[in-house]
Amino acid sequence: MQFKDYYEMLGVPRDASADAIKKAFRQLARKYHPDVSKAPDAEARMKEINEANAVLSDPERRAAYDQLLARGARGGQEFEPPPGWDAGFEFSGRGSDADAADFSDFFAELFGRMGGAAGARGAGFGAQSGGFRARGEDHHAKILLAIEDAFLGARRQVSLRAPELDPQGRVLLKTRTLDVQIPKGVREGQLIRLAGQGSPGMGNAPAGDLFLEVHFEPHPRYAVHGRDLRMELPVAPWEAALGAVVPVQLPHGGTLKVRLPAGAQGGRTLRVRGEGIPGDPPGDLELTVRVVLPKADTPRAKELYETMARELPFDPRA
Amino acid sequence: MREHDLIVATLQEDVALTIDELCATCAVTREWVVTRVQEGLLATEDGAPEQWRFGSGHLRRAREMRRIERTFDAAPELAALVADLLEEIAQLRARLR
Repeated sequence: MQFKDYYEMLGVPRDASADAIKKAFRQLARKYHPDVSKAPDAEARMKEINEANAVLSDPERRAAYDQLLARGARGGQEFEPPPGWDAGFEFSGRGSDADAADFSDFFAELFGRMGGAAGARGAGFGAQSGGFRARGEDHHAKILLAIEDAFLGARRQVSLRAPELDPQGRVLLKTRTLDVQIPKGVREGQLIRLAGQGSPGMGNAPAGDLFLEVHFEPHPRYAVHGRDLRMELPVAPWEAALGAVVPVQLPHGGTLKVRLPAGAQGGRTLRVRGEGIPGDPPGDLELTVRVVLPKADTPRAKELYETMARELPFDPRA
Repeated sequence: MREHDLIVATLQEDVALTIDELCATCAVTREWVVTRVQEGLLATEDGAPEQWRFGSGHLRRAREMRRIERTFDAAPELAALVADLLEEIAQLRARLR
């Protein structure tokens, strides 16, 4: 396990005041907000910043952490917490670390016991038969699926690190790999809740839940909007002018024959009911017509265009 | 034992969390949710808090609002405004794809 330099992560000196830490945290939180930042590693940076702030903004944790620095621990070094390192520090465990499930092994090893990992969170906290009980932490994870998976279903492995107590009462992080079968019919942004698959509870309290948020990888041909599947339909000018039955390749491999009405202009949208993402009711397939012109790169092609130019009284700008 | 079990997810139309479940998963108090619903910052149907049900949109929004409030000491209205803007950005980005 590598020692993490939380001061370096926030870019503040070791003797920074609580206000300076708060200010640095806010500036970085703004800079690396995953929905706003253009930085490719924004999400990872945000997790680090949250973690550094969870330690440095909490006087008890900061004091204990400073103690480790005073003993010579340095960022990037291999590190094992010295036995009893936290003796003399009291952790009230009032952490409101809703994101603690994202924090590093280093954090969990040091502070796991104090409210971050197994939660002194209001909910699920209760004394039953005199023992300590706390409902396990919920986990939130994003899964990236291909659009095809919405039609066919998918199987994904999700790795979760959950803190567990060993017989000595030490917190150990255990990685669990879940094999999750995602049925067909999922939509962008949908949450899938897997009850009881979050962190185990303490005492006899129930485990937390796992929430998976579905996102689709960008696809060169398809886009999804709710349950609707959108794509462009390239057509030849004569198909658009005269009407035609054209084949459309669907994400799950099938082909659909779509009737293009005569006189369809580019940009026109055709809606095929029920051919979008499966469900009850299923979504629609939305096709946007794009007229593609053949090149005039042979004498014969030029002649055909010239004939049209001569014989059709047509002004596209009229 | 549970290391490699295959878990088959079932899809409901949407997750429907009770107020207590929403509180637990967002690490907020019940009062936090109630005030924000009453002030119209977090939409849900009428009725008593026990009858409220929260879907994926609510959960995402509540987590975002909580994060902004805590990170920036922001007023709830401001956090809700940022959440509105983030939702709008997400929709516009989806349209670009």
